[in-house]
Order: sequence, then structure tokens, then C-alpha cells
Amino acid sequence: MSDQDKRPGLLGRIWGWFWSPSGVLSVGFTLIVGFMAGILFWGGFHWSMEMTNTEEFCTGCHTMETNLGEYRETIHYNNHSGVRAICSDCHVPKEWNHKVKAKVMAVKDVYHELMGTIDTPEKYEDHRLKMASQTWKKMKASDSRECRNCHNFDYMDFTIQETRAAKEHQRAIDNNMTCIDCHQGIAHRLPEGYLDEYKRVVDELAMEKGPKSLKTADANPGAIKGYLNKTTSEKTGD
Amino acid sequence: MLNFLGTIAGNILGLAGILGFTLGLMTRNLFLAAGLGAVVGFVETMGFAGFDMAKVETLDLIIAIGVGLMAGALGCAVRVKGTTV
Ligand code: HEC
Ligand code: HEC
Ligand code: HEC
Ligand code: HEC
Repeated sequence: MSDQDKRPGLLGRIWGWFWSPSGVLSVGFTLIVGFMAGILFWGGFHWSMEMTNTEEFCTGCHTMETNLGEYRETIHYNNHSGVRAICSDCHVPKEWNHKVKAKVMAVKDVYHELMGTIDTPEKYEDHRLKMASQTWKKMKASDSRECRNCHNFDYMDFTIQETRAAKEHQRAIDNNMTCIDCHQGIAHRLPEGYLDEYKRVVDELAMEKGPKSLKTADANPGAIKGYLNKTTSEKTGD
Repeated sequence: MLNFLGTIAGNILGLAGILGFTLGLMTRNLFLAAGLGAVVGFVETMGFAGFDMAKVETLDLIIAIGVGLMAGALGCAVRVKGTTV
């Protein structure tokens, strides 16, 4: 003990040096260096965050390739306006705090990848309903925030939409419904029993949130999906 | 659990953590520092929800305020330890 009093250990000395007033650097120098280092650090941080938003990154795990293949058949991959929605547009929020949260939570993806939770097509299909349900829960809770980064009821011209779409969208506005209530399976194949599972997710959220009007749709997502597949295949010609 | 950790991390790297810490650096008064941090956490969470109380998760709000509080206090500690003014 007395030894330590006389001569602090390495960590102790670094600690002492760190907090001692600087004799050689001016305040201005310290501020400027700190400021520049801050910009570099933040830029690098942000850049690496964006790196994890690319399609290459997501499908770097071969377990995500099933979804890639399915999504390539849909309107969000290939359409007449040439605007593409990639994985992260639908699955990763844009707002900073939600984004950081999503990235931290995705650590579980790495865990499941290592455990091989979905490493064969059979296991994948067995697990799909559970994964879809996790995704629905997030989307329902966020009022389909990611869809709304690109789509907005207010910007839709109902007069040039198909009658059916316009009618349903009016109903959606009137009843406070959200995109995912009707557009499940917009980018991937739907597992069996998905409607029941979706209802369960909505009920569960409604319980957590207390008495709030959360409505499921009786619109038929299967029909929507069929319609979308039809339009894409018309365009790609197969 | 993941949701909980994610929310904490989001707040540490967000306004509550960073602005809270910076505000904490500006005072030697621990309570003021923690208070300022907490206010930032509160305003941030409300702001992202469009100031619509119905859209705010209570747990999210508590975490944001807590993280702001800690960040402010930490900033204050750095001020006390690292400066003479
Ligand atoms: C480390 C490999 C890996 C990478 C990289 C990866 N995933 Fe996953 N992902 C998985 C595994 C494994 C699961 C299954 C996890 C589970 O069962 O909860 C999964 C599950 C999901 C789910 C199901 C819903 C959920 O939250 O559990 C979605 C959506 C998803 N990934 C999207 C993405 C997107 C978008 C990206 C790119 C930003 C991505 N993944 C990158 C391995 C990966
Ligand atoms: C990156 C922006 C973007 C995001 C995010 C996005 N979309 Fe889209 N969406 C588009 C584009 C672009 C089209 C194709 C428009 C066109 O050319 O007809 C489209 C088309 C659609 C269509 C079909 C239109 C048709 O004519 O068949 C539906 C339905 C749809 N989106 C729903 C959704 C839902 C639900 C979500 C959230 C899960 C979502 N979108 C997220 C950009 C986006
Ligand atoms: C009440 C159910 C319902 C809700 C909620 C809903 N939609 Fe739709 N949507 C439909 C139906 C039904 C169609 C027509 C598809 C069909 O004919 O099969 C459609 C079609 C579309 C189309 C294609 C329109 C066209 O004419 O090409 C887009 C884009 C779209 N929806 C986006 C959205 C977005 C974004 C949201 C959330 C803001 C949303 N929808 C919410 C039921 C709904
Ligand atoms: C247009 C928006 C959209 C895009 C783009 C998109 N997804 Fe999804 N994804 C969804 C929705 C909505 C669900 C929820 C399940 C459902 O409704 O099909 C989902 C579900 C999933 C799931 C859970 C398992 C399942 O099949 O339901 C995984 C894994 C996933 N997505 C990965 C990806 C990857 C990887 C990409 C990029 C190659 C991608 N997604 C692109 C909207 C999208």
C-alpha cells in the first residue's frame, strides 16, 4: 500500500497525466485539434454506419439470400420509375436514435447466424413466421414509419389510383390504419397462417398500449401480392 | 431486453448523451448539470414523437431522461476534475 502511495502504477500515472493542466499546448491548439478529431471521428462513425445499410452487407450473410431472391421479384426492386427500395429502406429507420437502436438490436442477427438458427431452407421456413411477426410488430408499432419515408397518403392522387386501392386507402385514413395492416408480404413470400399471426401481433400491441383503436384489415393481402407479382412480371416480361 | 439495451445505446449516441454531456461540461453544479441532461432527454424523445404524448412510450421516456441525467452528471464530473475554473 505504502509503495503505491509513493509511486502510482502505470494506469495511475496515465490518469494523473490526463487530468494535469497542459503546459505546452495553448487552449486554441487543444480546441482546434479536438474539433478536427471530432469531425473525423463522427464522419468515420457515420460512414461505417452507412456501410451496414447496403444490400451487399445484408446479403453478406447467406441466410438473408432467401429474402433477396423473393424481393427481386417485386416492384420495389424493379419498376418503371427506376426508384429502388433496398433492404435498409424498409428495415432500418432513418431517424438517428431509432437507427442506432435498430443497429444495436441487430446484434442478435449475428448471434443467430453463428448458432445457425436459419442456415438451411427447412429451418428458414420453420422460422419465417416468427421473423415476419417480429418485423410486423416493429412496423405496426412505428405506424409503418419506414414505408412513410417514401410513401405518404397525403401525396397520393386517389383519382389516378385503381378504384380498389383508392377506396381502401380512404378507409385506411378514416380508420387510422397503417400500411402493414394490408400490405404484408410486400417484398417477401408469406408463411402459412400469417393472417392469424398478424392479428395476434396487433392484439398484443393493443394490450400494451391500452385502449386505442388498432384495427386489422380484412383486405386480402394475398390478392395484393398477386396483383403486384402480376404487374412486375408484365414489366419484366416473364 | 434487446429493446431496452438498444434504447439506451440510441440515447447515449443521440442528443441526450452528447448534448447532455456537453451541457454538463458547462457547469460545476452537479444538480444543474443532471437537470439539464434530463431536460434534453425529455425534449428529444418528445420531439421525435412530434410532441404527441400518445405516441411516446413511457419506458423510452424514462430511459432518455435517465441517460440525459447520467450524461449531464458525467460532464459535470469532467468539468470539476479537468478544469480550474
Ligand atoms: C450476421 C449475418 C446477418 C446480416 C449481416 C444480416 N442479417 Fe438479418 N438475420 C440474420 C439471422 C441469422 C436472422 C434470424 C434472427 C432471429 O431469428 O431473430 C436475421 C433476421 C432478420 C430479420 C427478421 C426480423 C427480425 O428482426 O428478427 C430481418 C427483417 C432482417 N434480418 C433484415 C436484415 C437487414 C435489413 C440486414 C442489413 C442491414 C441484415 N438483416 C443483415 C443474419 C444476418
Ligand atoms: C425507398 C423508398 C420506398 C420505401 C421505403 C417503400 N416503398 Fe413502396 N414503392 C416505392 C417505389 C419507387 C414504388 C414503385 C412506384 C412505381 O414505379 O410504380 C413502390 C411501390 C409500392 C407499391 C405498389 C405499387 C404498384 O403499382 O403496384 C406498394 C403497395 C408499396 N410500394 C407499399 C410499400 C410498403 C407497404 C412499404 C413499407 C414496408 C414501402 N412501400 C416502402 C418506394 C418505396
Ligand atoms: C385498408 C388496407 C390498406 C391500407 C391500410 C393501405 N393500403 Fe395500399 N393498397 C390497398 C389495396 C387493396 C391496394 C390495391 C392492390 C390491389 O388491387 O390488389 C393498394 C395499393 C397500393 C399502392 C398501389 C397503388 C396504385 O394504384 O398503383 C400503393 C403504392 C400503396 N397501396 C401504398 C400504401 C401505403 C404506403 C400505405 C400506408 C401509408 C398503404 N398503402 C396502406 C390497401 C391498403
Ligand atoms: C418494400 C419493403 C421491403 C424491402 C425492400 C425488404 N423488405 Fe424484408 N420485410 C418487409 C416486410 C413488410 C416484412 C414482414 C413480413 C412480410 O410482410 O412479408 C419483411 C420481412 C423480412 C424478413 C423476415 C422473414 C420473412 O420472410 O418474413 C427478413 C429476413 C427480411 N425481411 C430481410 C430482407 C432483406 C435481406 C432485404 C433486402 C434484400 C429486404 N428484407 C427487403 C419489407 C421489405
